[in-house]
Amino acid sequence: MTQAQFVGTGSPVHRLNPVTKLVALLSILVIVFALPQWWVSAIVVVGVLLPAAVIARCGGPLIAVGGRILLPIVVVLVLVQGLTFPGGRTMVWQWGVLSVTSEGLLFALNVGARIVCLVLASVLLVLTTHPGDLMSALTEAGMSPKFSYIISSTLQLIPAFRSRADAILLAQQARGLAVPRNPLRRIGVMMPLLGPLVLGMFTDVEERGTAMEARGFGSTARRTALEAIPDSTAQRVARWVMPLVAVAAVVVPLVWEVL
Amino acid sequence: MIQLADVSYAYPDSGRFVLEHVDLRIEPGTITGVVGASGAGKTTLAKILSGFIPHVDGGQLSGSVVIGGRDLSGLPLAACVSQVGLVIQNPFNQISGARYTVRGELAFGMENLGTPRDEMANRVAEVAGLLRITDLLDRSPYELSGGQQQLVAIASMLVLRTPVLVMDEPTSQLDPAGTRMVFGVLSRLRGTGTTIVVFEHKPELLHAHADRLHVLAGRRIAASGSPGEILSDPRTDQWGVSATRYTRAARLAREQGLVPAEAPLPVSFEQAAAFFGWSARTRPPSPEDAR
Repeated sequence: MTQAQFVGTGSPVHRLNPVTKLVALLSILVIVFALPQWWVSAIVVVGVLLPAAVIARCGGPLIAVGGRILLPIVVVLVLVQGLTFPGGRTMVWQWGVLSVTSEGLLFALNVGARIVCLVLASVLLVLTTHPGDLMSALTEAGMSPKFSYIISSTLQLIPAFRSRADAILLAQQARGLAVPRNPLRRIGVMMPLLGPLVLGMFTDVEERGTAMEARGFGSTARRTALEAIPDSTAQRVARWVMPLVAVAAVVVPLVWEVL
Repeated sequence: MIQLADVSYAYPDSGRFVLEHVDLRIEPGTITGVVGASGAGKTTLAKILSGFIPHVDGGQLSGSVVIGGRDLSGLPLAACVSQVGLVIQNPFNQISGARYTVRGELAFGMENLGTPRDEMANRVAEVAGLLRITDLLDRSPYELSGGQQQLVAIASMLVLRTPVLVMDEPTSQLDPAGTRMVFGVLSRLRGTGTTIVVFEHKPELLHAHADRLHVLAGRRIAASGSPGEILSDPRTDQWGVSATRYTRAARLAREQGLVPAEAPLPVSFEQAAAFFGWSARTRPPSPEDAR
């Protein structure tokens, strides 16, 4: 979840409290896995996710990012489950040893629909929620600031350290290091560069620790936040109702089975 | 007032003292420069002055470090950082990585210390205006140039309004205009009663802005005095301290017998003008004069 994937349109979906969106994602996840029928996932996608994407003006990015993730998964799923589902009896199509059964396709549909739902819901969260806002909201909701810092700094520092690795490589190339095109040989050539990079990272971590303490990171004072995280009574209620619906989706079928 | 008495320090597991018997007295509401060659122990002294040694780095520290009447070794680190702000040498590492905009980065320390929201917003706007980074407030700190990052790093400490500010080479990545601006801001802060200790290599700016200079050499304070006294001292090369261009030119002139040997060496342009006997009458001919 990097800042680059966030699409800031300022829509009502963007303005929701990030924790509300996170709770919605987790509730959807539980519901579609507790109720494995494909139509449950379809209802969530068509009835919740796509309208939310339209309101958030993120329909295009959602299809593009979600499609890139989902296409290979769905193709493999349909091929593997459609062709090799062990309990398949109703033949839809056969060619030599290859056979597609309606039971296999139904199984692939049930599993695929859940994955589509899960991926689209996650991508929508990423597209409509700035990671900084999510961390601030989670901290305000009681998450440890240190845990929040680990997540935020990892997201930001990995690209920064990648730039440093590029700079080390450039410096070595300027001093005559030839970087071969063959990936295996390239890895071999670049191994010695890891030393300066890793040692530099250790120094950075130590210095950053000092700088963080200089800015009161270890303070026991009650923390405040520069930006107010939007919230409302309706959202607070929703954050209780959604998990309850998810729990009901797990419990009701079990009780139904017992009765 | 800051007072170091007989301070010696060795890093953990090194067994070698990088500072020995350091005595230092810094008056409140002043700008004090500490100069010395690379490896003389400036960063170590900066960490001692801000309480990070021994609270974070450990090691063997002896002597006393008293700031505002309180010995730092007896205070928890959180109390030290509320008294002394430390700007470290590398701005990249001063940036927390926890915030996605410069505005958030500047507020980060205040958030940790529980500053009220309105107060934070006011301080961010004020300091950003002082350091002329208002146009950067909504950008990511990691998209900035080294010089811009350094200004953000300085600003991130200024917003905390600590009574003492320790700055370890705070202008190393700034252009001359940015460097002058930062020193101008430090002079204004001094006017508000902030005590500033700056570890720097730029002699002309130290001469223009510092009240007093201390030379760190041979693991101790080798000399203390006004910037004029220190920067014109014949031992600057031996200490690894840069002299100003005017002092260097005057030394060269003296070596070549162009000026009397006993004349005190100039440090600033005005002193150099007097030293060399420049005046409107003696200025070199301009192209207009030639015409």
